[in-house]
Amino acid sequence: MKKFVVVGLTLFMVLAVGFSANAKTLKVGLDADPVSLDIQVQLSGGMLQLSHWSFDPLVRWTQEMTFEPRLATKWERMDDLTMRFYLRKGVKFHSGNPFTAKDVKWTFDRMRKSIDYKGLIEPFVGIDVVDDHTIDIKTKKPYALLLNMATYFFPMDSVFYTGTDETGQPKDAIVKIGPSFALNNSSGTGPYVVTSREQGVKMVFDRFKDYWDTKSPGNVDQIILTPIKEDATRVAALLSGDVDFISPVPPQDFKRIEKDANVKLETINGGRIITFQMNSERRPEFKDLKVRQAMVYAVNNAGIVKKLMKGTATVAGQQGPEGYAGYKASLKPRYNLKKAKSLMKEAGYANGFECTMIAPNNRYVKDEKIAEAVVQMLAKINIKVNLKTMPKAQYWDEFDAKVADIQMIGWHSDTEDSGNFSEFLAMCPNKETGHGQYNSGMYCNKTVDELTMAAQSETDLAKRAAMLQKIEQILYDDAAFIPLHWQNISYAGKNNVGIAPVINAMNFPYLGDIVVK
Amino acid sequence: MKNSIKRFKESYLFYSFKRDKTAMASFVILVIFLLLSLAAPLISPYNPYDAKTTDLMNAEIPPAFMAEGTSEFLLGTDNMGRDLLSTMFYGLRISVLIGLGAVFLQATIGIMVGLTAGYMGGKVDAVLMRIADIQFSFPYLMVAIFISAIFQLMFGIGSFEQLSVPLLVVIIGLAEWPVYARTIRASVMGEKNKEYVEAARVIGLSRPVIMFRHVLPNTLTSVMVISTIQVANAVMSEAALSFLGLGMPVTMPSLGSLIKSGFEYIFSGVWWITIFPGIFLILFVLVINLLGDWLRDVLNPKLYKG
Repeated sequence: MKKFVVVGLTLFMVLAVGFSANAKTLKVGLDADPVSLDIQVQLSGGMLQLSHWSFDPLVRWTQEMTFEPRLATKWERMDDLTMRFYLRKGVKFHSGNPFTAKDVKWTFDRMRKSIDYKGLIEPFVGIDVVDDHTIDIKTKKPYALLLNMATYFFPMDSVFYTGTDETGQPKDAIVKIGPSFALNNSSGTGPYVVTSREQGVKMVFDRFKDYWDTKSPGNVDQIILTPIKEDATRVAALLSGDVDFISPVPPQDFKRIEKDANVKLETINGGRIITFQMNSERRPEFKDLKVRQAMVYAVNNAGIVKKLMKGTATVAGQQGPEGYAGYKASLKPRYNLKKAKSLMKEAGYANGFECTMIAPNNRYVKDEKIAEAVVQMLAKINIKVNLKTMPKAQYWDEFDAKVADIQMIGWHSDTEDSGNFSEFLAMCPNKETGHGQYNSGMYCNKTVDELTMAAQSETDLAKRAAMLQKIEQILYDDAAFIPLHWQNISYAGKNNVGIAPVINAMNFPYLGDIVVK
Repeated sequence: MKNSIKRFKESYLFYSFKRDKTAMASFVILVIFLLLSLAAPLISPYNPYDAKTTDLMNAEIPPAFMAEGTSEFLLGTDNMGRDLLSTMFYGLRISVLIGLGAVFLQATIGIMVGLTAGYMGGKVDAVLMRIADIQFSFPYLMVAIFISAIFQLMFGIGSFEQLSVPLLVVIIGLAEWPVYARTIRASVMGEKNKEYVEAARVIGLSRPVIMFRHVLPNTLTSVMVISTIQVANAVMSEAALSFLGLGMPVTMPSLGSLIKSGFEYIFSGVWWITIFPGIFLILFVLVINLLGDWLRDVLNPKLYKG
């Protein structure tokens, strides 16, 4: 018996030592590090990534584009303008303070003072505290995207940020340039506590011991984030084993990473649609529905995805990707050269015509090559396109000035919702309301406008989805634009890093849940 | 005619050419290059600038001698599915055209300015040379961006494709003329006090006649030497501009833009898009430079008249 105990104890000790020596560290190489620890100082992808690592939102998106309860456990609609959220109990901030409804309200009120967030939360009236763990979020008008917006609410520790720091500045001051308390100190409820930070050099996160989400599979004890700006250097760092996880991965290096047995590549549909808009006011031929359809039929977007994007994009036939409310599975990509040619003949343009096109050359993945390929494809139906490509710094001015007949644009919806696409890309351009701001094709259809506006305030999600799908159908039938593909977001890591389950279309890898074997 | 051929055959130039194997080899290669560029539309298996005949689905096919290559595309295809060999011939044609055109422009401006400055001297000289200095202090990239912006405003986006060759000729021509102006001015300053110029002046010849009929021919040796080097420079400038995306439109690749488009793929195993045009360009520029070197040695009076 004694022997067993000794053996048991020894085994236990060996295992225990083994485990503690096996503390998991994940070295992450990104193109840039967060500019501040104050998550409300800037609205950007990098800051939102940080928000997900050291804070928690009320709800967050899953890979399937559904909502997952985080600090809010459930929610219900009270009336057209109010949504009630029940908050999680027993959650602690990094500072040890308990998380309550007061913190959510405080955070929301602070967001109002942030220049970057102000616009985003414009549809809201405010937050009412019902009790310690219940809040009401109120909007000015019936607002269908309330839950989408709740993914931007990362409660901050109101007690921690109250008072003044040693320089006499209030601790909750939002300072874009210059020192502030929140720049170097943070207290959230998230899975990682920032333990050291050297801007532009290195950032260290330690796992938060009292993290509320005990069901999270994440087993990483420490994350070391190093910004590596150069694409080639970042890939080299992964291949040589200096880092375990990198993002973004340049497409030209996909093959190299796939060939290497020690690392793997993971991509996910990022929801950014790449399209060409045909300006019917500059070019009367584009007014003819058959010509527009012929152009859509002539573009082999599947070929572009295969040959130029090397499979790192999803071929598109409509604006919103799968998972979005407006996605309609029947709207398939339609490459058919024969049909395109016969449509051109029917329209009376069998001999084609000449037009112009502009595209950026450093904005989207392979943008210049894509434009070149589309020129090639349109030539096959006798449309001769004069293409000019330019750097993005020049491109947007030219785009706004609508200098060319066909213009390229990529769009990602901030709210992860189909309505956003139509609002900016398909509605009749109107300078006062800002609708159709990026609709350089000047496509204008009253029904689309009405449906888009109606969808904005429709709170019945099923009805709303039907409206959004109807819009997609109209745009598809009208050949309002040439859809190409949705860009994928790519990550690469060592084989033992479980990347696939934690990535999502928003490019916020949930590192809190990442498993390293 | 016969006489002049005979004179050429007996000349020191031809004599030293016959004895210099490097010069002969360079000359032969250069002639081949020029013939290729002239005959590009006739000898290329495909027309790479005709978007109708190229197919993206043929992209990145390796050269015929590799396992996956096909005999349809001897040197493989580029990332857009163009036949690489044809594209190289067409690209070379553009390079030669731009090289010669730009040098012609440079030489014209440079000779005018250099001759005037050198012969007139004084204030005219000071002003013209300062203009040359200012021109020299602009990097040609900046000139390129500037001029292409103006061109676009004047002619619109649509004509960019038709205008890109003359545009590049103007850009490179304007950027480098001071090279000529400086050299010519220096030789003119050396010549203008010689007896034959004085004699011409004494018999009452007008200034332009003295400048162009008497002084200029005596400075042309240096012009010939610089010209060879400048052709090579212009070809390289065009390649550099196209490499940066400021040169030829993507639908009409020159050697430089071909090298650029292949550059991204070089690590992923698609080496031929960059390597073949790269070798082509290096060879072309090298033989011009070698010929230029030889010409400089031959025409340098100190080396043979001694």
